[in-house]
Amino acid sequence: MLKQFYNNVDILGKALDGVWLRNKTINHNIANANTPNYKRLTVSFEDKLKKAMEKEENKLVRTHPKHFPISKSINDIKPEIMVDRNFSYRFDENNVNIDTESANLAKNTIMYNALVSQTIDEFDKIKNVINEGSKY
Amino acid sequence: MGMFDTINISASALTAEKTRMDIISKNIANANTTRATGGMPYRRQMVVFEENKDKSFSSYLDEYSNKFTGGGVKIREVVEDSAPFRLVYEPGHPDANEDGYVMLPNVEMVKEMVDMIDAQRTYEANITAMNANKTMLMKALEISRR
Repeated sequence: MLKQFYNNVDILGKALDGVWLRNKTINHNIANANTPNYKRLTVSFEDKLKKAMEKEENKLVRTHPKHFPISKSINDIKPEIMVDRNFSYRFDENNVNIDTESANLAKNTIMYNALVSQTIDEFDKIKNVINEGSKY
Repeated sequence: MGMFDTINISASALTAEKTRMDIISKNIANANTTRATGGMPYRRQMVVFEENKDKSFSSYLDEYSNKFTGGGVKIREVVEDSAPFRLVYEPGHPDANEDGYVMLPNVEMVKEMVDMIDAQRTYEANITAMNANKTMLMKALEISRR
């Protein structure tokens, strides 16, 4: 029963991991804003996390125990780093736009703070359950 | 891959931009130097940035197994601008040639100023990024504070 206690915390933890990695890549992009031929990095994990949460892929049935598992549990989710090879409007072939990166940084920080608050709340809830349960 | 990677990444950019700024200052300071190395006028210098990447096998493997391997930015080299020197007619100058022309450095003040603004703004952007990181790390510590 205690295993399910931390379900939400696990999901939030995965999301925090993803957001933190994105934070790293944004920093890296800003650091390389003047590097010739540098292409910006992006991170995606939300879609996969959502799918794992909805267990969309779990609808597929394995007919043999030795089949590869198609479903991905939340623990298997790994954020994906992609190189954005889109056109560059600069002579040095660098495609970092410092304004976009700043905006992404702001978004990402807010997202991170929100996730941390959610995690704190989640622990508060668990603590509440334990404390209140002991009163009776 | 540690906790302070992001800070290190921003720090590498700060170092790189500051070095760029130093070189720009050097260019401006030597805008009229007629006797630099080899008795020739000063040549304008430029920094070349490069992504700071480990060239080891394991880092390439990490890159292809979807791990983050970036380490910020570094300066690969400082190159000299091969543009021709400015020729100014000034017969009284001790470095003037037979025709009375003096070779002055190929430093263009406007270009240097623009470069300086660019370096300054990028520096500021990295400071902002670093501060954002600091707040995020401090926020993460709040999870354990309850």
